[in-house]
Amino acid sequence: MPADIHTFTLVITGAPYSSQAPETALGFARAVLRAGHTIDRVFLYGEGVHLASSLASPPSDETNWTRAWGDFLQEHSVPAVACIASALRRGLVNESEQKRYQLPASNLAAPFEIAGLGEWVESTIKSSVQSSRVIYFHGGA
Amino acid sequence: MHTLHIVSKPPGNTRFRECLGMMGEQDALLLTGNAVTALADSTITLPAMVYALQEDVRARAIDPRQDISGQVTFDDMVSLTIRAQRVISW
Amino acid sequence: MHTLIVIDQPPYGSWGGRESLDMAFSLAAFDQPVSLLFIDAGVLWLKQGQEPDGIYQKSVERNLAAASIFGVEALLAEATACHRFGLTDNNLINGVTRIENTGTTLQQYQHVVFSG
Repeated sequence: MPADIHTFTLVITGAPYSSQAPETALGFARAVLRAGHTIDRVFLYGEGVHLASSLASPPSDETNWTRAWGDFLQEHSVPAVACIASALRRGLVNESEQKRYQLPASNLAAPFEIAGLGEWVESTIKSSVQSSRVIYFHGGA
Repeated sequence: MHTLHIVSKPPGNTRFRECLGMMGEQDALLLTGNAVTALADSTITLPAMVYALQEDVRARAIDPRQDISGQVTFDDMVSLTIRAQRVISW
Repeated sequence: MHTLIVIDQPPYGSWGGRESLDMAFSLAAFDQPVSLLFIDAGVLWLKQGQEPDGIYQKSVERNLAAASIFGVEALLAEATACHRFGLTDNNLINGVTRIENTGTTLQQYQHVVFSG
């Protein structure tokens, strides 16, 4: 473990299959933990919320990025949050939002959760100290 | 290094041009994803401190250029984000 | 610890700019210092007279004009981009500061953020 442990928040704004953002972020996240640092939260924003869809079903010989991320998050107990405004616009809902808006289905993959931008604000405030970083992973189009 | 600029978009994207135009002399550039194609593009002039994510370079069979600072792994990328005083993703 | 949210996409063609504004207004709602910087075609967000009813969208012109009331400290616009897109004192919304050297401005903020 390094003497100077840093805390990272990862913000993913690019969607799987239309960008490399989720895979670059996953490679980075693994390296963060390998170096002994911590990840306090993964925040999905804009197009990035598509990563949390339990309905993504790529061909079996392609990486399922939702599952790859889900496995990583569960193994390391890292919380991941999809921005509620971005998620609802793009048809990504959990059971409580399904009930609230009387929608025919919910599709939020475990262990992702839905929450407001306040979570991102909290990470941004925390990153004012030197040992904390918010790193953004954008799409590449 | 003052600022680490992480670019994921290809040189043809306006964001790539914006980034190069606003970099300070003490700043470093890290090319990821489609941005690594800048290494193969002979029309692009890159700043002095340039890194490229090795996985993305290899994936695209891009020949490493001798005149740039080097290819980095994800482990190096983590170190770079810690060494930098701030990080901007483009 | 001031955050600069940068918008470089023109309005209405995508949701990125709107989601940038959401970020800025959220920081402001939590009393965090935040400013907005418009570069490239993003400066078109700041033009008076937007009428997006015909494309079934809501105008953000009024939100932007009221940004300071919401707690956003400054609306900054790249002067060269304003010139390029014909934005002058006569057609810019109120409260916009035009800046000559965007690179220098960028250096002044601890956090520089694009929404996507």
